[in-house]
Amino acid sequence: MKTQTLLGTVRVAWRNLWRNGRRSLVTIAAMTLALLAMVIYASLMRGLLGDMERKLLEVEVGDVQIHAPGYLDEPTLYDDLGESERLVGDLADLGFPATARFLGGGLAAAGDASAGVQIVGLDPEADRVASGLAGELAEGEWLSASEPSGVVIGSRLARTFGVEVGSELVILGQSVDGGIANDLYVVAGVLGSFSEAVDRSGVFVVEEAFRSFFGYEGGAHRIIVRRAPGGSTEDALAAALGLAPDEDVQSWRQLQPTAASMLDAAVAGLQVMMTIVYVAIAILILNAMLMAVFERIKELGLLKALGMSPRHVLSLILLEAGLQTGIAIVAGLTLAAPALWYLSEHGLQMAGLSGLTLMGMSFDSRWYSQVDAFSIGAPVSMLVIIVSLAVLYPGLKAARLRPIDAMRHQ
Amino acid sequence: MNKNSVSWACCVVFLVSSIVTAPPLAGETTDPEVVALLERVDDLFRGDSSEGRMTMRVKTKRWEREMVMNVWSQGTERSLVRIESPPKEKGVATLRVENSIWNYLPKVDRTIKIPASMMGASWMGSHLTNDDLVQSSRYTDDYSCELGEDVPASDDDGPRWLITCAPDEDAPVIWGQVEIEISKSDTLPRTTRFFDDDGELVRTMSYLDVKSLGSRRLPTRVLMVPADEPNEFTEMIYDDLKLDVELSERLFTLQSLKR
Repeated sequence: MKTQTLLGTVRVAWRNLWRNGRRSLVTIAAMTLALLAMVIYASLMRGLLGDMERKLLEVEVGDVQIHAPGYLDEPTLYDDLGESERLVGDLADLGFPATARFLGGGLAAAGDASAGVQIVGLDPEADRVASGLAGELAEGEWLSASEPSGVVIGSRLARTFGVEVGSELVILGQSVDGGIANDLYVVAGVLGSFSEAVDRSGVFVVEEAFRSFFGYEGGAHRIIVRRAPGGSTEDALAAALGLAPDEDVQSWRQLQPTAASMLDAAVAGLQVMMTIVYVAIAILILNAMLMAVFERIKELGLLKALGMSPRHVLSLILLEAGLQTGIAIVAGLTLAAPALWYLSEHGLQMAGLSGLTLMGMSFDSRWYSQVDAFSIGAPVSMLVIIVSLAVLYPGLKAARLRPIDAMRHQ
Repeated sequence: MNKNSVSWACCVVFLVSSIVTAPPLAGETTDPEVVALLERVDDLFRGDSSEGRMTMRVKTKRWEREMVMNVWSQGTERSLVRIESPPKEKGVATLRVENSIWNYLPKVDRTIKIPASMMGASWMGSHLTNDDLVQSSRYTDDYSCELGEDVPASDDDGPRWLITCAPDEDAPVIWGQVEIEISKSDTLPRTTRFFDDDGELVRTMSYLDVKSLGSRRLPTRVLMVPADEPNEFTEMIYDDLKLDVELSERLFTLQSLKR
């Protein structure tokens, strides 16, 4: 089709749109609203899921974890990774950020309150490479090798103990030789809320403090491995398996199957939701375009009798739908923009969700939307696809009209 | 909390609290002979108060250690344990009043109350749990017992009675069944076996070294072996035990815990 004819067709299509302006406006409005709702919904879900995944992977689990075989079934101080330092170095050489964690159990107390805790020893500087933990502080400072008596604790633990930065904390445990380990620490920082396990029982100390508390001389119990920048969890898993074939190497999906399936289910839920809304829109479009075709059946027959090709008729109908969709996309995104801006900047106040944990993951008190290629692109492209499918039937019907029958149509 | 330490959950009924815990006979044990036997066993450790010294030896697959501790108790609800050696742990003390336990740590000069969630954890590194310290379940109150077939004499001991006890419906005990072997010669217990609800043996307790201690003849060494770790044990040897001594109420307070 020549440009001239295309422009002509567009002009005709545009004019046709306004022959029943009310119907076109209703259709456009429905599409606009659906798109608006879906863009905002998708952005909010992306925000929620992205936040969860980030907390889970960046802060807590990493992409891959390495433990000694059997450690996860029955964690003890004695099942360590031996030469963990070398393993961390080898992973780093391959481009996978990794950090070693020393893990032990104990009882922490402040004032009259006490609770069972997991004591995690780490190198405060090296840990930043592979973990976002240091960035999750709600109050106070991150650990420092020069302050071995400083501890960083989980948010719920801090609330249970009623402690704040600068408060003292007693930790009681059992040293490697079976003796009674106990020491006095000072709360250097309190973490924000991100996972039930850490919130309730996480006590982070520098590696030196861990070693002196437990009288421990072995290797780390856990190595957290991150994907290489731009790489995937699978690459990190393969690299870790290659370097530590005799250890227990697992991806975050294996370690946190409920969280992984919950994230998957939420994405699937988003898609189902989008499909349902758009199927409704598709039925609306189908109806509107069928009406538009039947209303003009004599006219279309006449156009065909005058020599308009079936393809031309089809493109006319497609263009009519396309113009409505185009207007709806522009209108929908224009309307969504301020809402998305507000939700990304200020978020929704979810006081009721604060501190709530689901499947071991904590929720923030504010729910921010995340605007990205997916949250905009998916609703828009799904709208286009579904409109094209819906309009195909009336379009083809119009294209296949036999002029003689159409003109006789009552 | 590991399975091991849970499996020991009750020992101290017989070690710390049983010294003073002798409930009136009740339950559904009807056989007067059995009642009399159990009564004698219970009366053996009976006293309104006690003061003693014991050595606790703990062996696990990782380490072995020995602690000497002084033990006081009053009534059924109060006890105090203070470690004398090794020097590193001297002064570490545990106070139990009813269902609460506090540990005093001289190194940091702080007292920690054990939270409910940690009651199943090991006490001082032994196979005992904190729960064991506060357990107040009693054979005679919480079990229905009956006499089984006698255990014939062996090379080193005479014949024994075998008493099988099943916990009453609402009894606060974790066992499915307990078997007690009592020597016919001195009516002292020799062995107690603890089974879980599935009938699996969980641990065996042996009462050894019968000697005169204070005014009574007592088994002065109690050995506990977990069924799933037969090479591990916790052993408590009574070096000294005085019953019905005058003790100040103030002994069982947080102030006195620090001493």
